[in-house]
Amino acid sequence: MRFREFGGFATSALIAGAILWSFATADVELTRLMSAGPRIADFLGRMFPPDPTVMAEIKKGSAETLRIAILGTLGAVILSIPLGILASETMVARAVFRPVRTLLAFIRAIPLILVAMLMVGAVGLGPLPGIIAVAFHATGMLAKFYAEAIDGVSRAPIAALESAGAGPLVRLRHAIWPQMAPVVARDTIFRFELNLRESLILGIVGAGGIGFYIQTYVRSFQYDKAASVTVAVVVMVIAIEAINVAMRRRFT
Amino acid sequence: MSIAAQIDDLSFTHPGTDLPALERVSLTIPAGESVALLGPSGAGKTTLLALLDGRLRGWSGRVSVLGAPLDPDQPPPRVRRPDTGFVFQEFALVERSTVLRNVLNGRLGRMPPLRALLGSPTAHDLEIVRAALADCGIGDLAGRRVDSLSGGQRQRVAIARCLAQEPRLILADEPVSSLDPARAGEILSLLTGAARARGATALFSSHQPDLARRFAQRIIGIRGGRIVFDVPTPELNEAATADLYREIEPMPGTGLRAVS
Repeated sequence: MRFREFGGFATSALIAGAILWSFATADVELTRLMSAGPRIADFLGRMFPPDPTVMAEIKKGSAETLRIAILGTLGAVILSIPLGILASETMVARAVFRPVRTLLAFIRAIPLILVAMLMVGAVGLGPLPGIIAVAFHATGMLAKFYAEAIDGVSRAPIAALESAGAGPLVRLRHAIWPQMAPVVARDTIFRFELNLRESLILGIVGAGGIGFYIQTYVRSFQYDKAASVTVAVVVMVIAIEAINVAMRRRFT
Repeated sequence: MSIAAQIDDLSFTHPGTDLPALERVSLTIPAGESVALLGPSGAGKTTLLALLDGRLRGWSGRVSVLGAPLDPDQPPPRVRRPDTGFVFQEFALVERSTVLRNVLNGRLGRMPPLRALLGSPTAHDLEIVRAALADCGIGDLAGRRVDSLSGGQRQRVAIARCLAQEPRLILADEPVSSLDPARAGEILSLLTGAARARGATALFSSHQPDLARRFAQRIIGIRGGRIVFDVPTPELNEAATADLYREIEPMPGTGLRAVS
């Protein structure tokens, strides 16, 4: 048997095995699935009509989520500038960018919700742990993007400025930055959008924002109020995405 | 006679290649002259210019530029780098920046570190930049972004940036290879004229003998990494030029002709 054929067979067997194993152990019962329909219908029925009296809570929660996303993104940008430089092969030696890139991959591997839980434990309830968690979590991606932006520019002007006697930081400012600025703007806006989406759920673990109200209303069976908050979240996500699409068009 | 560059027994092989790019080169470039480096593609012209600019490591021999010896193992001290200006073949401009910003970039090596980082020029810097723009005939393009310019205009910006760094030795790598003959003459005329007006030495490479004759006082012929001739322009004869560009002898038994 040729190696490629064997490889294909092994892959198929592995996928089939994984699916069968999951069915055997995941407690998937047909009767439970069948009874879910009426329950979901009941659930949706109780959500409708959404209760508009929670407008004040929606405003307060959305504003807090927005603040968490803005300050979390700001923190990530501040952390990502030095880390992005240290992760770029244009600016530093292999002995530096290798370990920094590994560190960033490690940061990216930790889910936001986990960081948020740890931060709630460390600094207490409220938006502060949310901001710290978002800043930390987003840095893993943003610093990597910044490093790629630095490494993606044309090298010739950098060499020209070096030949003219400019040092590394001066070259970064005057040869690299003008070339990478639109990429940085686009990446930062993209990350802000992700931060906003992800910070919507932070309230569930007590790290501030609108998620707190969804959590509270669902737990206390006030589904009509939870529905209002959910609608507000959906509107917010769509609005942010629309704004981003418009801004990204400007920056490219 | 003062000397802009002195080269003794210089050899260099690019890392990862077998054939030497420069082999036992010895040269004297007198200060204040315009000198042409003439030779076919792959002769070693770019390598020699980059080496004089202090950008190559691992060569052997002795090289001194503007009175200071170059170290084969490390770049020249940063304070000396503006003294040697380089006009890159592909211009090497920051495309998204304006013409003014690109020419100001030539001043960065002359500024104190903080001023360079902030990119805030003094009145003196601006005066030099304005003069460079005017000499290159692009004073009216100062506010334009480089990515909106033609090839000839970009070459003028590249030369203006080089002039702005107030070099005493100007190295130009094929400065007119991408231009039509009329434009090529204009550019070489402004390059050698600006160098003369500033008392600087100009060393430019070219593969066009007629342009070298028109704009250089001295012509150095290079082929296969070796100096073939080094003569004042009036003494250059046709036979030597023809020999410089002759095709490589057919290799016995292959029937193929390698054209350099």
